[in-house]
Amino acid sequence: MTQRILQVKDLTKIINKREIIKNINLEISKGEIYGFLGPNGAGKSTTLRMVVGLSKPTTGDITISGYSITNNYVKAMANVGCIIEEPALYEYMTGLKNLKILGAMSKNVSEKDIREAVELVGMSHRINDLVKTYSMGMKQRIGLAQALIHHPKLLILDEPTNGLDPQGIYKFRQIIKTLVKEKGISVLLSSHLISEIQLMCDKVAIINNGQIIKTAKVEDLLFSNQIYWTIDYPKKGKRILESKFDIEANIIDNQLVAKLPEHLIETVNTFFINKGIKIKYVSIKKKTLEDLFLELTAYKAIE
Amino acid sequence: MITLVRNEIYKMILRKKVILIIILLILFVGLFSYGENYIYNQRINAFLQESNQSNYSWENIANQRLERLKENLESAYIPERGIKSIEIQIEQLEYFIDNNINPITPSVARFNVEFVKQSITFFLPLLIIIIGADLISGEFSEKTIKILLTRAVPRWKILMSKLIALLIMTTLIVLLMAIISTSISRVFINRLGFDEPVITGFKLVNGELSTATVIQITSLRYMLLNYSLAWYVALVMSAITFMISVLVKSMGSAIGIIMASLIGGQFLQFFLSDWGLVKYFYVTNLDLTKYLTGSYQQVEGMNLVFSVLVLMTWAIISILISFLVFSKKDVLV
Repeated sequence: MTQRILQVKDLTKIINKREIIKNINLEISKGEIYGFLGPNGAGKSTTLRMVVGLSKPTTGDITISGYSITNNYVKAMANVGCIIEEPALYEYMTGLKNLKILGAMSKNVSEKDIREAVELVGMSHRINDLVKTYSMGMKQRIGLAQALIHHPKLLILDEPTNGLDPQGIYKFRQIIKTLVKEKGISVLLSSHLISEIQLMCDKVAIINNGQIIKTAKVEDLLFSNQIYWTIDYPKKGKRILESKFDIEANIIDNQLVAKLPEHLIETVNTFFINKGIKIKYVSIKKKTLEDLFLELTAYKAIE
Repeated sequence: MITLVRNEIYKMILRKKVILIIILLILFVGLFSYGENYIYNQRINAFLQESNQSNYSWENIANQRLERLKENLESAYIPERGIKSIEIQIEQLEYFIDNNINPITPSVARFNVEFVKQSITFFLPLLIIIIGADLISGEFSEKTIKILLTRAVPRWKILMSKLIALLIMTTLIVLLMAIISTSISRVFINRLGFDEPVITGFKLVNGELSTATVIQITSLRYMLLNYSLAWYVALVMSAITFMISVLVKSMGSAIGIIMASLIGGQFLQFFLSDWGLVKYFYVTNLDLTKYLTGSYQQVEGMNLVFSVLVLMTWAIISILISFLVFSKKDVLV
């Protein structure tokens, strides 16, 4: 049986008479990495702020590990760790002191918990320096340690890789993945970058204008790549794809275009060559967020 | 809860505000006590030159000052309010001379009292503002409010811990003020004078000085009495500062608002003293020490109990507003 860690039900938020969040529903199970994808200003951050108690829902309820944040705030929050946008720390203290002060606010956070979190994020060597001497990536890592010291079941990360360099992003991703694998915690992470969601998440909810427009498994939604073949007989290719592989294909600008999983490309290519079709080149056009939105909104319009 | 309060105090100390406050206190106390001693010496010299005597006693100087005040009273340029104030001073001085109480020679005890009197309406509130204005607004402007409010602690507890920490620090500041002004002024002023008698309990009845309720206590007790009033004022100021810090998002505007209200309040007191509402404004009531000496009051119908109650009301309302606003606030930084 899968355990439900986070449930967001009919969440609405009205600020200055404007409906910023419209009736959002979400569910995250144990050990799941859930992506929250949408352009800037879509309402990702506002939703996450409500989940971590920084902002109050106008209507609807949020349940974390079985505790409602409206009726049982303390128990609900004991199960959450978070980084909301760039990590904010007390600059005039050392990294360690930051963690100690924050750890003292939760029950049962020992020195050992803090040390483990610091080791996990790889900050042991600089932990006794003042935070103002840290780089952005270091702050982010302390930010992550801060979110983990009390062993939460749910980790909320709002745009976690903003402002990090590629190496920092890579390390950050590795840490999150290890955490999920070893401790079985669930992660809800928001991003406006499709690649980030692709690399990390199991499930994704796409949000636009304060509404979730689609929820799906990442592979179903994002790996549906378009393959472009530039070949000498596109019509013949199309026939082969449709008859032999049962894949729908189109011809656009003299190119053969079809949707198929990447591992099938080789098989198809071999088949084409055997049938005497010369392949100039094959390219994979990855979907951008823009494409996805166009596709999703167009889909909706047809409905 | 104790842990939370300890956290808050730790943060305040690390921000080095306390050091700033100590430096300010040392500077001001040093300047004032040096100045007071300087003026005293000049007065003695002037007296000796005028009277052609080779030594002096405080009674002579007090009598001389009494004459000066009476001369002033004759002058046509002094407004009616000023006349009242001078009349009260004369009566007090006569009372001192009649009862053999020395109001002239500076002593550490008297300096303390004087320093409290001078600082209670502005300098002391300023120190409280330094330590309190960024208490909550600072967490917002540095965005650390995000890590503070996402812990498994209800918001009211976090605010409560900050309030308690501020009240503790305020108490500490008043203590520091007493310690620093005693020790630094000792450098310039030779007499401690803690056991000298002091008269207090003057009352203004219909604008006239009444000595019916006067009592005689030691300087030390009088000094402590002044400091406890200062402490009360400091606590009220910290409650008001606390509210402003909750209401605004940046430390700069918090300081601006409180300073403006302090300065504006002093203006109100001077220019609109006939307006009945003025006496309910907190700034008008800050100077509690004036009720001990029975000096002239700008606004009529005020007394110690009235001012204490007005200040208490302001403090309680400020704290209520702080909690109401803070518990509902959306954190969008």
